[in-house]
Amino acid sequence: MSTPNTRAQSAWEPRAELTVLDRDIPRIDGPEKVTGRARYTHDVRLPNMVYARLVLAKVPRATVDEIDLSAAGQMPGVVFVGVEKQVGDALVYLGDDSVLAFVAAETPEQARDAARAVRFTLSPKSPVVTREQALSPDAPAITDRGNVRAGRGPRNAEEAQALLDGSAFKVAGTYTLPVQHHVCLETHGCVVDWNAETKQATVYSSTQMVSGSADMFAQILGVETSAVRVVCQHMGGGFGSKFGPDLEGAIACRIGQAIGRPVHLMLDRPQEFQMAGNRSGTHAEIALGCDATGKLTAVTGQVDRLGGMGAGSFPGLPYIYEAASGAVTRSVHTATDSNRAMRAPGHPQASFVMESALDELAYAAGLDPLEMRLVNAPNDTWKRHLGVVADAIGWPAHPNKKAPGTPDADGWCEGIGFGLATWRASGAPGAQAEVRIERDGSVIASCGVQDLGTGARTYVAAIPAEEFGLEVARVTARIGDSSLPAGVASGGSVTTGSVAPVVKQAAHVAREAFEKRLEETTKVAPGGYVWQRGRVRTQDGAFDVSFGDACALLGNAPVVGTAGFEESKHLLAEGRLHGAQAVRVRVDTVTGRVVVVDMVAIQDQGLPLNRLALRSQINGGMVQAISYGLLEERVIDPELGLLLTDNLESYKIAGAREIPRMRSIIDDEDTRWAVTGSAEAPIIPGHSAIANAIFNACGARLRSTPFTPDKVLTALAARG
Amino acid sequence: MKRGRDEENEVAQRAGAEERARLSRRAFLKGASSVAAGGAAVTGFLAEGAAAAAAASPGTSLAGKVDVKLQINGVEHALALEPRTTLLSALRHHLARPLTGAKEVCDRGNCGACTVLVDGRPVYSCLQLAVRCEGRAVTTVEGLGAPDAMSDVQAAFVAKDAQMCGFCTPGFVVATTACLARHPSADRDTIRTELCGNLCRCGTYPFVFDAAEAARDARSASNGGAR
Repeated sequence: MSTPNTRAQSAWEPRAELTVLDRDIPRIDGPEKVTGRARYTHDVRLPNMVYARLVLAKVPRATVDEIDLSAAGQMPGVVFVGVEKQVGDALVYLGDDSVLAFVAAETPEQARDAARAVRFTLSPKSPVVTREQALSPDAPAITDRGNVRAGRGPRNAEEAQALLDGSAFKVAGTYTLPVQHHVCLETHGCVVDWNAETKQATVYSSTQMVSGSADMFAQILGVETSAVRVVCQHMGGGFGSKFGPDLEGAIACRIGQAIGRPVHLMLDRPQEFQMAGNRSGTHAEIALGCDATGKLTAVTGQVDRLGGMGAGSFPGLPYIYEAASGAVTRSVHTATDSNRAMRAPGHPQASFVMESALDELAYAAGLDPLEMRLVNAPNDTWKRHLGVVADAIGWPAHPNKKAPGTPDADGWCEGIGFGLATWRASGAPGAQAEVRIERDGSVIASCGVQDLGTGARTYVAAIPAEEFGLEVARVTARIGDSSLPAGVASGGSVTTGSVAPVVKQAAHVAREAFEKRLEETTKVAPGGYVWQRGRVRTQDGAFDVSFGDACALLGNAPVVGTAGFEESKHLLAEGRLHGAQAVRVRVDTVTGRVVVVDMVAIQDQGLPLNRLALRSQINGGMVQAISYGLLEERVIDPELGLLLTDNLESYKIAGAREIPRMRSIIDDEDTRWAVTGSAEAPIIPGHSAIANAIFNACGARLRSTPFTPDKVLTALAARG
Repeated sequence: MKRGRDEENEVAQRAGAEERARLSRRAFLKGASSVAAGGAAVTGFLAEGAAAAAAASPGTSLAGKVDVKLQINGVEHALALEPRTTLLSALRHHLARPLTGAKEVCDRGNCGACTVLVDGRPVYSCLQLAVRCEGRAVTTVEGLGAPDAMSDVQAAFVAKDAQMCGFCTPGFVVATTACLARHPSADRDTIRTELCGNLCRCGTYPFVFDAAEAARDARSASNGGAR
């Protein structure tokens, strides 16, 4: 049945020859999604299934004095209750350490009632939820290693300080960003279907790592990895927060093994905010200098990463730009949930610090903000990108380039700001794919990878369609299942760079094998065939049949092509990704309200597999950056330690009214004819560009996100 | 969805005469209690367990089920539901064959992912008691079309890629359907306003607006309209 892998060297077709890729491909699971048929983990309904629910403390630090499940256990419909914390246990931080107990019942309503009936008494301790509280001399130690952990740098503090001191122009400022949440619309959780007789489990999990999490669930369940199948056909957002079972997955396994029934355990929205991930906050006090031409000289200062129990993320300064760096980064711990990876971890924070300081320096040096970036952009791609977005946003005709504008009669003014984006083009080892062609003409491409909404399922079908000259609908994509050839974890934009090459290579191997089989009929060796428009022919035209008729020649043995990452790497783009964004805002100087009216992004991408999905991805980055810049902030009461922003009426994200005119430009001058992912780069600079546009509009320098009206008015007053 | 909330109030008023409406919606909703939401903040800090126990004490009228006939996507379903069951929960958990297109995201009327049509008007099904929907036509996203027979709005969402992860998409499809029914020639600004009760995290808004415009234009063209 299997065909020997011929290790053929494959290549992406030149742009002019592509018939499927590099076009707008409507996603193949679209019809399921828009009609409500797509089944997410939340939607899994199994016979005899119970609904589990967690019980969380709301204070960050406490001792458990009493915990009593007796009332909960007697509630109607309750089938299981259990504790996660015992009397005398310490609650160390607000997050998954807040989980006290759990219940399972026949209906979600009964589970909610039972969760409310869990009795507990806590003795709270001082919260330690802010940077100031953590750094206070008498603060209790939040981690075994204390509240401050030294991080990166300085590379050369003395040299940087000397260069800064000798700079023609200098600025210094404190820039802060609060903790942000991922806000996956589908909360974290899973459905564990444990079979006590066979000691096997099927786990439906909302995860960015289908293949890799089978092993993690198996460890929790105490069985071999082969005894666990993880399934995730659709997932409602991850953004870096959904790797592995987490505590809720472990608890679902415990309940399932205890009662021998399928267990549905999804966090509710307040729990999601409390324990399912965040982007670390930042407190940066830095100084930046440039010479008389605007060329950066040095950056110095200190950056605190505020990742709660985690280290936080920050890629270092001067980030994208080039200058001597004396900047130090360190972690300041608070008694809050550890930060998790979130779309370009650390980069939006570094972008805000660096692009803001650079912008301040531009005005100080008498340069306009575009000139300043053209002087300092490290390569010609970024310079070209800046030109594209500047033209698109209307910068050449913009009146106030080197000084803020003045309000009109109604108090409104308008400004433009810029920022640069970056990421690395890469893939991760481990991905495998199989492309299989049956005698009945079916083409099945399989890889266990998940589709987070990126369009992975669609390119798993589209790539073999391109190879065989078929329409996308002719190919079946099988993904989202750990029983398939392994996918990779979807983090750091590596999915496309990992999966698309192996699918392409597997399709190519299948095609060579197919041609070898056709040789018996045609006497033409592999390589002498053309696959186009649903037909296959020999180059001399002597043999010319439909794809279906060619498949009928296969007999009982299907053609199977497989590939792994090593033999597919040549199909992956390498090096750096670039992008630039420009934004136009209107600021009401009377109320402090900021309205983003236009936003443009350009992104290089190598070969864009699906231009439609790529533009969606770039739009998504811009939308999330608007949301981050204008609205998002986790708020914890510093006195009581309570999370005040625990649902979407208090933790605001951008809605339809916040969305400006928006253009996503794919850089078609990128000559790298290979593939990479694109989730991270487009989310990086948007909020920075908004801050710079606010200053350009009215002279209010916003050094703290989100740019709420009160901060705008305060900054306007400080302008003098 | 401002209209969604207006609708909610309107429904509450209209149903006020009905016997079941003697029971306050607020008191019923999900067994509301002092421990829910904001009330938990201070009491929870001082004596969270005690508050929870008090909230769960018996004697309220939450127990017991009532017979409800729901007209969903043109099919009548006879259900026995606790009065506090929301329409969203009835759809997702209490039907013999659950309808899971409407999503539970915030469960308190913030996000619109659970939007369905009741008598043709969009409502947040998480804020609607199932018992109040008796005798009214409930249409979910599943009732608007099927993968092989999509509505024009659904087809436009696919063509314009007005979806990424897709979790908010059913709510947007229903809200867009309602928007175009109410404003057949809606401009982009009207579309943005009509859809402002629905939240998307992936950032699909620009293409959602494009899809709404495409569906609008296709209808207007097929009606011999100017566009």
